[in-house]
Amino acid sequence: MYNTEVRGPLILGNKSLSQITADITSPLYARPKFWWIVGMGISSIMMLLGFWAIYVTISQGIGTWGVNNTVGWGWAIINFVWWIGIGHAGTAFSIFLLILRQEWRSSINRAAEAMTVVAVGCAAIFPALHMGRIWDAFFILPYPNTRGPLWVNYNSPLFWDFIAISAYLLISASFWYLGMIPDFATIRDHAKSKIKKAAYGFFAMGWRGSVGEWKRYEGLSYILGGIAAVLVVSVHSIVSTDFAVSVEPGWHTTIFPPYFVVGAIFSGFAMVMTLMIILRKIYKFEEYVTNAHLDKVAKILMFVSLIMGTAYLTEIFTAWYSGNEYEIFTFFHNRITGEFTKQFWAMFIFNAIVPQLMWFKKIRSNLVIVFIISILINVGMWFERFNIVVTSLSKNYLPSAWATYTPTFVEIAMYIGTLGIFIFGVLLFFKYIPMIAISEVKAVNKHQVKK
Amino acid sequence: MDTQYLLGVYKEEETLLAAFRKLKEQEIEIEDVFTPYPIHEILENHGRKSKITVVGWFYGLFATLGVLAFLIYTAVIDWPLNYGGKPSNAFPSFLVITIVLTIFSITILSLFTFSWRANLWPSNEKPIYHPEATDDKFVILVKKEKVDTGKAESLMKECGAIEVIEK
Repeated sequence: MYNTEVRGPLILGNKSLSQITADITSPLYARPKFWWIVGMGISSIMMLLGFWAIYVTISQGIGTWGVNNTVGWGWAIINFVWWIGIGHAGTAFSIFLLILRQEWRSSINRAAEAMTVVAVGCAAIFPALHMGRIWDAFFILPYPNTRGPLWVNYNSPLFWDFIAISAYLLISASFWYLGMIPDFATIRDHAKSKIKKAAYGFFAMGWRGSVGEWKRYEGLSYILGGIAAVLVVSVHSIVSTDFAVSVEPGWHTTIFPPYFVVGAIFSGFAMVMTLMIILRKIYKFEEYVTNAHLDKVAKILMFVSLIMGTAYLTEIFTAWYSGNEYEIFTFFHNRITGEFTKQFWAMFIFNAIVPQLMWFKKIRSNLVIVFIISILINVGMWFERFNIVVTSLSKNYLPSAWATYTPTFVEIAMYIGTLGIFIFGVLLFFKYIPMIAISEVKAVNKHQVKK
Repeated sequence: MDTQYLLGVYKEEETLLAAFRKLKEQEIEIEDVFTPYPIHEILENHGRKSKITVVGWFYGLFATLGVLAFLIYTAVIDWPLNYGGKPSNAFPSFLVITIVLTIFSITILSLFTFSWRANLWPSNEKPIYHPEATDDKFVILVKKEKVDTGKAESLMKECGAIEVIEK
């Protein structure tokens, strides 16, 4: 049983059930604040820039990017892996903790899942455009066609990737939506305005909280939870096989799948932390997202950071121990030292060393520092993907084929565009969806009041 | 006015559970219970168990077999292609797609099953007996023609109902 005396309460302020409803739904009824409108404006401009970059890429081709024959994967793949990593947190968070029956997930899971859906959507843009001729993208579907029939190659990690990302996007969106049905019903019955009643009523699909509904709802949650837990692990393992299956120094290692999965959870949890600190501050949700919640996320980050550090050291050790000159060159002369030293050490320090500060309770409970650390982790995780993609490709077997890589403005604009989509999506979520799972928090509250 | 139902409205989970037990004990048939969050004692003791998890398992079984059959048909039987001399029936690498598509199929199929069995779909017009049952009230619903109305009403009140409504 959850012992609140040791670990701090999950909901403060002795809330009654109707108070919980009122507190969580109040941002939905309020007029949009000034900062919200400004945020929407800025993110729209960023999105416009991104759409321009997408237009240039589609109309002129991949030649507008900085990638070349040697470094064939540039920012697009770095950002794809980065976003998909962030997109892992929501599902990892809510599903692993659901299966482990951890009640503290309830205040955070909704926001984490929202983040997941938006981030995976951002991620999907990059490989789609990297195909080059996006109008032929349907070639990747296995359908009886007029070209043979030529079926797709089921041994290709790129095809696995396509299947995995599509499935992941759909399943995380369904899981998110399923959790919102009871809350939409609450708003339908609670809202004053007719438009809100009709809109939320449409999405509530006639939910009334009857026994039959709750029974099947719980059954379905556990089905989706159980299988999506497998999916979380498999999706990022599949992303890692995009690298690990090719015979490139620094990529062709068996540590890649677990290393990628852990990295994804790490960057995702860091993003959850960033978002929750902002969210609880702006909307005064300190009573629902308590210090106890953030403390737990901080501890997870600290622990996962240890795993990351171990993985980095394991890679380096294996490269040395293998005696393979190409591996040794990549790790010791193209990462630790050499052209990409800054990026390597940024990765190592931000991911493996800085989060270790959170061993100290003083630092863990200082939210300004925790906020900065969570941002640094996301920067560090971006550099990790940079290290993997660029350093291995730029100098592999044939020195005559060596090349370097710098992104063009189009690539940078596209990245800024996806950041815009992310901010835009999160702001819409703030305004139109209850940010905390109302019905779940009510169930948690029951244990809190008894104390 | 002609009314069909009797609603016992409660403010707390404890009083609702007391009433639920009492009505069960007196063999008064409870039509439905509406609560703002799932209460397991009621879910377990009211009506039939949901078989959605069992159904989900079978969806998984059929999806696994279906996906594997599709992959083997297309890549081995219909149009075997030579990828660098590797065998067409590359079973281990088929498993990746099989796992992901199985998960995908279970999700889609069990979502539709849920929608069908729990009677939930967009713009559904089910009667809402008590609008606060999704907020902070717990409601027990009995059908008048099936029970002794006077007895049910007094039992509901006895267990701490804040009001008993005819609807």
